[in-house]
Amino acid sequence: MDTLVKPPMPVPDALTEFFWEGVRAHKLMILRCRNCGHFIHYPRPVCERCLSEDLAPEEVSGRATLYSYTITMKPWHPFWVDKVPYVLATVELPEQEGLKMLTNLVECPHDAVEVGMPLEVTFREVGEGLTLPFFKPAGAV
Amino acid sequence: MAETPRVAAVGVGYSTTGRKTGLTSRKLAIQACGAAMADAGVDGTDVDGIAVLWNPAGPAPPGLDEVKALDLAQMMGYVPVNWHVDGVGPAYIGPALQAIAAIRAGFCHTCVTVRVINQRLSGTELKAGADATPSTGDEQFRRPFGQLLPLQAIAAMPMQRHMAVYGTTEEQFAQHAVTQRYHASLNDDAIFRDPLSVDDFLAMPYLSTPLRILDCDLPVDSGSAVIYTTEERARDLAQKPVFVESAAFSGTGYMAFEIEDMVKNAPFHTGRHLWERTDLTPADVDCAQLYDGFSIITFQWLEGLGFCGPGESGPFVEAGNTRLGGSLPLNTDGGACNVGRRHGTNFCIESVRQIRGQCGPRQVPDANVAVWANAVGPFGGAVLMVGE
Ligand SMILES: [Zn+2]
Repeated sequence: MDTLVKPPMPVPDALTEFFWEGVRAHKLMILRCRNCGHFIHYPRPVCERCLSEDLAPEEVSGRATLYSYTITMKPWHPFWVDKVPYVLATVELPEQEGLKMLTNLVECPHDAVEVGMPLEVTFREVGEGLTLPFFKPAGAV
Repeated sequence: MAETPRVAAVGVGYSTTGRKTGLTSRKLAIQACGAAMADAGVDGTDVDGIAVLWNPAGPAPPGLDEVKALDLAQMMGYVPVNWHVDGVGPAYIGPALQAIAAIRAGFCHTCVTVRVINQRLSGTELKAGADATPSTGDEQFRRPFGQLLPLQAIAAMPMQRHMAVYGTTEEQFAQHAVTQRYHASLNDDAIFRDPLSVDDFLAMPYLSTPLRILDCDLPVDSGSAVIYTTEERARDLAQKPVFVESAAFSGTGYMAFEIEDMVKNAPFHTGRHLWERTDLTPADVDCAQLYDGFSIITFQWLEGLGFCGPGESGPFVEAGNTRLGGSLPLNTDGGACNVGRRHGTNFCIESVRQIRGQCGPRQVPDANVAVWANAVGPFGGAVLMVGE
């Protein structure tokens, strides 16, 4: 493995820095409206439901269900050359209907992946200085 | 106040189209405009509006020329124009709806619409430069996870979701590709014309499950143009007018394919408005030309426009409805999978040619009502077109 190949690094901004700070501390943080309680992901500067701009990150349970996925067979970036196939996944968080995030599904045989399966967050160091929130089957050791 | 004019498509045309043509962006635009003007029988002084979509799907390579509306209008002899629009997407539906709206509003009477695609701007051509794309904005929640090409979020995950929720099968996507290839075999302008079987399709490797290369449109260099004008002016031109009966658009977000509702999105919302604006119904449609940037998109439009119920597109295709001679001949030019990527324009042009009766061996008998649709997910639209 070419350890010089770096993953694409997120470039946090004032709106998203909380998410990456949370991930580094192994906490999954989602932006939430302090006026009406609505969760907002991807982060936006306003609540789509009540238009409040009084928003704050909140740690969520880390549970999820698999909404959809694709097993990517080709490395479209040098970092994935020794990592294909990998399971790119959209997961839905139980905190709010329709609240989804993009992630990877790990610790699951590819022929056992099933839409609707219960998942839980797991934090992985994928490269120097980069921790990502992945998901694994709920209850997996 | 003048009455709102009825809008007609009166001229259609393509540039030289193909893999790596070596033509500049402007050449592709000029050729397409010239072909559409010749088709309509208009010269530059007849045109007073222009709507252009040219945009790179990522960083443009150094030296690639741009297509800009006023630059093109000047080169083609349209100036002074009374209306111009640059870069309204997400694909050809953008300039088409801008032109229709501007003519209805009276800002201009005759509007040329153009979509130019440069193959080297397509996602697959950019893979070598993947490192160059910064993970800023929403991309910071995509690229670090390996969401690198549109096909993963726009197509593969929605396909998987559709299969899980409705029981749609890979064989049904294969059947769709086989039907489109059959139609392409009847089109001299198609690039892929060799027969294709379901087994051929299923033997192809996955790019990203459950998606294969033949679920994707074919990147090419292409310029495509359509000219719209008022009914009154259309009557004096070279071709039988094809009228805009109804048009609709829906937008729910921007490029958030991966976190939105993957089965009920823009096609679903567009469909409701398209049929509210006409007395016609899906049963009146003689042929449908539904965007196939990826095969799942065509399936979503079949459901969204009400040609079958939610989740029924797979069985609908499998039963042969979409083949020439079936209840709803679909993508009769062969679709962008076979004629090459024109980002939706080919579906407008094929609708016009079917209603004119100019489609030769792939002509739908007595076609007088056609619907075309373009784009998907968080943004898309459709236009219903009729003859006399
Ligand atoms: Zn709120």
